Amino acid sequence: MRLFLGQRAWVLQRVTALVLLILLALGAATLLTGPSRSYEGWHALATSTHGAVLIVVFFAALCLHGWIGVRDIVLDYIHAPALRLPLLALIAVILFAIFIRVVLTMAAHFAGGA
Amino acid sequence: MRVSIYRFNPETDAKPRMQDYDVAPEAGDKKLLDVLMRLKTMDDSLSFRRSCREGVCGSDAMNINGRNGLACLTSLPGLKEPVVLRPLPGFPVIRDLIVDMTQFFAHYHSIKPYLINNEVPPERERLQSPAEREKLNGLYECILCACCSAFCPSFWWNPDKFIGPAGLLQAYRFIADSRDTATAARLAYLDDVYRLYRCRTIMNCTEVCPKGLSPSHAIERIRLALVRESS
Ligand code: SF4
Ligand code: SF4
Ligand code: FES
Repeated sequence: MRLFLGQRAWVLQRVTALVLLILLALGAATLLTGPSRSYEGWHALATSTHGAVLIVVFFAALCLHGWIGVRDIVLDYIHAPALRLPLLALIAVILFAIFIRVVLTMAAHFAGGA
Repeated sequence: MRVSIYRFNPETDAKPRMQDYDVAPEAGDKKLLDVLMRLKTMDDSLSFRRSCREGVCGSDAMNINGRNGLACLTSLPGLKEPVVLRPLPGFPVIRDLIVDMTQFFAHYHSIKPYLINNEVPPERERLQSPAEREKLNGLYECILCACCSAFCPSFWWNPDKFIGPAGLLQAYRFIADSRDTATAARLAYLDDVYRLYRCRTIMNCTEVCPKGLSPSHAIERIRLALVRESS
């Protein structure tokens, strides 16, 4: 739990922001230039090992970053425990579901494509 | 000059109201506090705190035209009229411009605002190098007026749990002190989602401090110290 409280969360928020920034710039650069401008191009890229790993890393960072950010907003403005705890749980479930969905999609590609 | 002041007497008023005063400043009146003192002679029910009248005691902090400041350090020329005076935002009002500072000082005491060093004291004082002493500049000058904490949105939302810029600046004053030996315990106390990490670097605190201090900078230093501590 200490991973999500106090200093660790603050550091994690900054690290994930950096990861997102780099991957977003990288992604924009590859999508706007070179062969991956076409559908076939970026599909091939996304289903290559490198591409798949980066996509999973991107969504992991996105979900962690989103969790800390939304959690902070809830801690600031929503004070009634009866509202706060279910809301936090809901957000955690949604973010986790997004991440699992991404992992499963990528895994399906590899299982199917291999 | 026209002054509009927040009035509330819990013994007689159901709701607060704004009361307008017209007052002619006299030759010696230089600061807003001089005008308030003049108003007090016209209407002795008007309540506010003041003591040193020179920016040292921190008791006459109030919201002046939407911005927290010390009445005794606010010059009359340049003040937009009517001058709207309200109690420090986010603090419980006791009466008129007087607010309840209990919670503010509870946060201050929670950070142990005194030097902790249980080593055998030297014959004379504990010495510091000029460089070590330099680190306390910009920290020790805080007069605990609460202008910063009462201008911090994070403090408005969580005044019971977030220590607030004033308390955190004071906390760093002892973390930065070379003579203090409780640094690790102080940092461990602050490593908390509420106590320290409610700060969102909005920097209202630094913007508003009438002593020109930078609580947000002190908070940044605490965060960096925590990162260094854990790595
Ligand atoms: S940091 Fe500045 S504004 Fe805050 S309490 Fe100290 S003197 Fe007042
Ligand atoms: S920098 Fe932090 S302490 Fe200062 S006003 Fe902003 S949130 Fe409050
Ligand atoms: S009266 Fe003391 S700080 Fe203003």
